[in-house]
Amino acid sequence: MKKVLIANRGEIAVRVIRACRDMGIATAAVYSECDRAALHVRFADEAWPVGPSAPRESYLRIDAIVDAARKAGADAVHPGYGFLAENEDFAAACRDAGLIFIGPSPEAITLMGSKTAARQVAIKAGVTVVPGTEEPLAESVSDAEVLEIASGIGYPLMLKAVAGGGGKGMRMVASAADLPGALRAARSEAQSAFGDGAVYLERRIMSPRHIEVQLLADHHGTVLPFVERECSIQRRHQKVVEESPSMVVSESLRRRMTSAAASVAKAVGYTNAGTIEFLLDEDGSFYFLEMNTRLQVEHPITEMVTGVDLVQWQIRIARGEKLTLDPEALLTPRAHAIECRIYAEDPDNGFLPSPGRIQGLRVPQGPGVRDDSGAYEGGEVPIFYDPMISKLVTWGETRDHAMQRMRRALAEYQVRGIRTTIPFFQWILEDEDFKAARFDTSFIDRKLGAPGRGPLYPIDAAHEDLATIAAAVQMFTKPVTNGAAAPVASRWRDAARVQALR
Amino acid sequence: MNFEVEIGERVRAVGVVRKGTMLHVTIDGTTHIVDARRVGESALSLLVHADGAAQARSVDASFAQMPGGDLDVHVDGRVVSLQIRPAGSFGRQKKAGPGGSGSGPQRVVAPMPGKVVRVLVKPGDEVKARQGLVVVEAMKMENELKAARDGRVRDVSVREGQSVDAGAVLLVVE
Repeated sequence: MKKVLIANRGEIAVRVIRACRDMGIATAAVYSECDRAALHVRFADEAWPVGPSAPRESYLRIDAIVDAARKAGADAVHPGYGFLAENEDFAAACRDAGLIFIGPSPEAITLMGSKTAARQVAIKAGVTVVPGTEEPLAESVSDAEVLEIASGIGYPLMLKAVAGGGGKGMRMVASAADLPGALRAARSEAQSAFGDGAVYLERRIMSPRHIEVQLLADHHGTVLPFVERECSIQRRHQKVVEESPSMVVSESLRRRMTSAAASVAKAVGYTNAGTIEFLLDEDGSFYFLEMNTRLQVEHPITEMVTGVDLVQWQIRIARGEKLTLDPEALLTPRAHAIECRIYAEDPDNGFLPSPGRIQGLRVPQGPGVRDDSGAYEGGEVPIFYDPMISKLVTWGETRDHAMQRMRRALAEYQVRGIRTTIPFFQWILEDEDFKAARFDTSFIDRKLGAPGRGPLYPIDAAHEDLATIAAAVQMFTKPVTNGAAAPVASRWRDAARVQALR
Repeated sequence: MNFEVEIGERVRAVGVVRKGTMLHVTIDGTTHIVDARRVGESALSLLVHADGAAQARSVDASFAQMPGGDLDVHVDGRVVSLQIRPAGSFGRQKKAGPGGSGSGPQRVVAPMPGKVVRVLVKPGDEVKARQGLVVVEAMKMENELKAARDGRVRDVSVREGQSVDAGAVLLVVE
């Protein structure tokens, strides 16, 4: 393998470029119109345009990406996560074009990509699934019929896209009255995200934790599971904080969950990196939820506690190498790692997306800190893609140590010019329940929905004073940037005019 | 030089005078003696002595002018959004925040650039507070914009499928 084309953008494209460079493999990036100056383009050895900014016209264009790989003379394609990473047609198109797809076979993607088919695989492999519909409910199935089926499962229940992932096309339904609205929203979101509006129903486990098991599987029959990741901290079904290991998974539970995960993967002849997601009930029983047939966003925490470079192993497996890792070491976490997904969203304004130009950026550094980012000072966060700009990961000798380092790293992190979820994580890190690892998947939505809640993470008087002093000094001493010293007051008049026009 | 600084609802008067190499910053009658060094176009290192104290607090501050008019001050690991203006320069500014819950018509505006995926109401509809009015898709997520209070839909100025800029008025509830 001499050259890898990375069929993705943002932080994950940068992550894959780094792995390739570590291995002495050349890299080719692809980019849409608005991503011409994105970090992954700047980092790659070469870059190929694949179309306009809308994902459908660029990063989701199988023909354009395979064409770019051919023109680049790449011999392999890494899909990252999202976009085409779990698209069996893309994996097949790569294979047909003589390119190595760094991921599982198109057949495994197809099988596990259907959430209902994946449930059947798990059942056959002897792994328990959450009770629910075993057949997909196509868009042609009427509301009345879905209501009928739902009453058989009972409320509350979860409505999920058959082609789903990343929380899209997923809704919690508390009662029959909410079902039609939730069904409409889930189908529409699933249709636009995955091109398939089919959904299925699952009984809702009341206080579950979301625990997942990373796997690597080679082409020689070896499947190796890794120590679990705890991913219960979610907002609107999107993971926002992950950690490894989980504080509630005992050594014996770890053995059972990881071997269940491995048996699901073996049942489909799975190869490359994948993740089995489980719901863990309060009584310690766990249920297969789904399999993600790709590298996960949160893979760095596993790398931090095992020392394994998962992306390098994806490439080595794709080259046909045998897994030579020690299975016991992969199940023995070295201390603790936490990840916060930093989004360009304003937590004090209903988490509305906050795209725009990053005027200034200071990235945390120092012991135990890793920042996987696609952002840079002066760069733009475009409106077209997922608003995640960085994954901040800290490692510590204990969970408390990792949390202390995360607080320190979040305080060092400055992203100026757009609003980010950094204050949201600072608030979570001060929460007594989070600190005690007392939570389930409803933790964030419950805390955010608390009645009479004020600002998420209020600014204290001391910080208000310091900010006031700093702002006054800044105005008093601000350098005039263009030419002659324009009096400060004229800028205020300009500002007043702008205000009057609003 | 005197400024007014507004944080949330609170407005404070701030005076800055240069005395030798130091700046004297007075807030609400308390004077802070500040040694300020510029470390970037939008960044300052400040050593702040509280009223005559020998001990100085080291404050690393940086700034971003936000599109809505706020100045975001990054200080000590926190972000404080404020408005600052020379004292008395153009009177009290009223923040024209979208979708306030006061009286008068509610103009529902697009909070960010995106695409209108669904309009859930039509002119003349009676709506309840928190009822969904329009769904705007941006950055792969669908965001439902809700009524701030009970009222009647007056104008609907967008249609499904239309792209909208941040701040565009989508509809009005009165």
